Amino acid sequence: MSRYKKMIKRSLILILLLPLLTQAGCAFKDIDKRVFVVGIGIDPSEKVRHGFKVTLKMIKPVGDVKSVPSQTYAYLTHESESVAEAIRMLETRVDKVLDLGHNRIILLNEKLLSKDIDTFMDFFTRRGDIQMITYMAVAGTTAEETISFEPETETPASIALYNFFDNTGTESPYVLTTFLFEFRRQVLSKGVNAILPIIDINEDKTAFIINNAIVLKLEEKPVKLSEVETKYFNSLLYNASGFSYKIEKEDLIMVLNIDTVKMKYKIVLDEGPPRIDMKVTKYGVIGESNKRLDISNLKKYDKTAAEEMKKKVIELLTKLQENDIDPFGFGLRYRATRLSREGLMDEWDRIYPEIEFNVTMDVNLKSTGAVE
Amino acid sequence: MTGQQAPAIFEDLSEQFKPSDDIIQTPLQIKGQYAFLFYLKSVVDGNTLQQTVIKPFFEMASEEGFESYIQSLPNRIEVPSKEKLFILISAGFVLIAIGDQTFLLDIRLVKDNEIQDTIMEPTIHGPQKALSEDIEVSINIIRQRYHNPSLKVEDIMVDDLSNRAISLIYDGERANPEMIKKVKKQLKNLNTPLFQSAGDLQHFLNNSKFTLFPTSMVTERPDRIVYNLVGGKVIILIDGSPNVIIAPVIFFDFMSSMEDNYHVSIVSLFTIVLRYIGLFTCILLPSMYVAMTSYNPDILRVELALTVAGGRIGVPYPSFVEVLFMLFFTELLTEASMRLPKAVSSTATTVGGLILGTAATEAALVSNIMIIIIAAVAISTFVIPINELSFAVRVIRLFLLVYTALFGMVGLLIGFIGIVMVLTNKDSLGVPYLQIPWMGKSDELRMDNR
Repeated sequence: MSRYKKMIKRSLILILLLPLLTQAGCAFKDIDKRVFVVGIGIDPSEKVRHGFKVTLKMIKPVGDVKSVPSQTYAYLTHESESVAEAIRMLETRVDKVLDLGHNRIILLNEKLLSKDIDTFMDFFTRRGDIQMITYMAVAGTTAEETISFEPETETPASIALYNFFDNTGTESPYVLTTFLFEFRRQVLSKGVNAILPIIDINEDKTAFIINNAIVLKLEEKPVKLSEVETKYFNSLLYNASGFSYKIEKEDLIMVLNIDTVKMKYKIVLDEGPPRIDMKVTKYGVIGESNKRLDISNLKKYDKTAAEEMKKKVIELLTKLQENDIDPFGFGLRYRATRLSREGLMDEWDRIYPEIEFNVTMDVNLKSTGAVE
Repeated sequence: MTGQQAPAIFEDLSEQFKPSDDIIQTPLQIKGQYAFLFYLKSVVDGNTLQQTVIKPFFEMASEEGFESYIQSLPNRIEVPSKEKLFILISAGFVLIAIGDQTFLLDIRLVKDNEIQDTIMEPTIHGPQKALSEDIEVSINIIRQRYHNPSLKVEDIMVDDLSNRAISLIYDGERANPEMIKKVKKQLKNLNTPLFQSAGDLQHFLNNSKFTLFPTSMVTERPDRIVYNLVGGKVIILIDGSPNVIIAPVIFFDFMSSMEDNYHVSIVSLFTIVLRYIGLFTCILLPSMYVAMTSYNPDILRVELALTVAGGRIGVPYPSFVEVLFMLFFTELLTEASMRLPKAVSSTATTVGGLILGTAATEAALVSNIMIIIIAAVAISTFVIPINELSFAVRVIRLFLLVYTALFGMVGLLIGFIGIVMVLTNKDSLGVPYLQIPWMGKSDELRMDNR
């Protein structure tokens, strides 16, 4: 029975191959043999000239998430001439594999912003895994201090800074979100300036404060935006929800809750002096008032609100213009809608400081709130 | 009393059947009239024999009268060749010789002709009764549900030792004649000494030696049979088995339940979608766990990655050993609860499912999430309506697991593409296995293959 012999031989080979499964290969790294980096802070180095100080925030998994009061982290710092080198050196200090795949926040020191930002961010943008998910921000103090801060509201297995920037947690027009890929695009494109949120820590050391932003200028000192300016910018460009606005007119004080903001603009060059026609439409309700309101007067409130807010928008646009920064990307729009030719950008650089802003604000209040 | 001698064939018969004690060879005799009976008493209904043959014989006036009486009996069939005669006698036919004439009467005694309840493919709506173990009763059930002269019933003689009756049933107007020829040829060429059930026969109908996916369907539901008859399929019945074989079939037939036809459209769409999700879950989930925990934890969201990592604290073996270990035990559990008597099987599932699962996590042999995955996989395996496919799926996910353990997410993908390729390469009696029936239900029923 040669057929059976053959079968027996085959099964024997299979059985002999089976123990191979129990052999540990070098590539098999289970999830518990990895340590997840959940934040990277970059400061200028104090020891190395033109170097960087890289801080990694690593999360420690806990067996039973429900039984621990708060999340525990581990921090590692290294100073080196380049970011990649620093991270390679940090790998020698942990027993597990450094897994950057879950890193979604990179904090920069403010001093680094005027440097050649493209070179040291190169390490991150070259990685395929995190460039679409990582948020960029600027630390109010040093990146190391901010990244290693743990706010009181942080619960286990959830990272506070992630919740700020993705839309699963808080949503506020003060919090600006910039992704890594967006940041790189804005840094490298002509006609637009990158804008980053600033992360501060409150005086009691209990919570983050993220309510203003900073606009980068290539190899120059960056320009900070105030809270209100950040709010306006964020709601105009990104339709950030939760925008509220206080109107004071005579003795009437009203707070409007705006839920939808629509903005479009047009660069008009051929009619008189160059100008930008911006049309903003806002929809919302009245959230608070110190007086009895009548629903039939809604149109009147619309008008009052529109006038007030229009002033603020023009103020913001003028401030940006005066500082010669363009986070809205007017210049990019100009470039994109004109035939490419030499000196196009120089042309825009001449036009922008003198351009006029013609803002039409349209406010549509839907109700005076749920109370009559 | 010189009497008449029994015909020569009776001698051959008794030669052939000796030394069985249940052969009866008896002459009937009254006033010079003779008749000879030959039968096996264990398979012949004695009462009917007495009522329809013996009693009339003594009441008849003449031999001729009795002869024409026998001639007109509804259960009389032509006397076939000698070889076939032996088989028929052993199946419960009675041979009668009157003068020079011989007659063959079907007075079979069948004890297993109850109609069974549907066990393998139960539905909430739809018929609750399945077929019977007796082929005549089964044909009766099918005929009673499909009153159409185009319904053809053909008996096939198959060359095996048990000489069971096998019937082909098809709708002569809808079934492809080529297909019928193919099925017949396939049945003729069966190279097996014995087969006992539809499942058995189906196995031998497959041409290749190693097969994982079934290429013909075994079913017990009369409504499914009728549905497939209308669709132009060929049904093979085998005596002694409450199941029939439907051929040819495609992969998607195994994913359909008769219940789909009995619900309102949205509900059945929902259940169909649910079923396909279940199919993919039970094939992919164990491998996905390995791929995600050991190769690409970046795919998971960070909260889940942390929970998985936390759950794996203290687990000594790599993730694929963990999965293999748990899959092995669930397979044992499924197998055990199937083979055990009903009274004991609930204990087995309790001990296995609850106690083993909890204890394994307590002892940190496997992670909590593993238990959830294994439970989800086990449940979703049961969602597949036809049992044969769910057996195949149980094997397949082990293949995928090996691929994934070796090559990670890429391995999972390659393994899955491999499965699709195997399925694409397969055919059921010439019909591509993975053929997608882009046809509405009414078109399918109106389908005319010729």
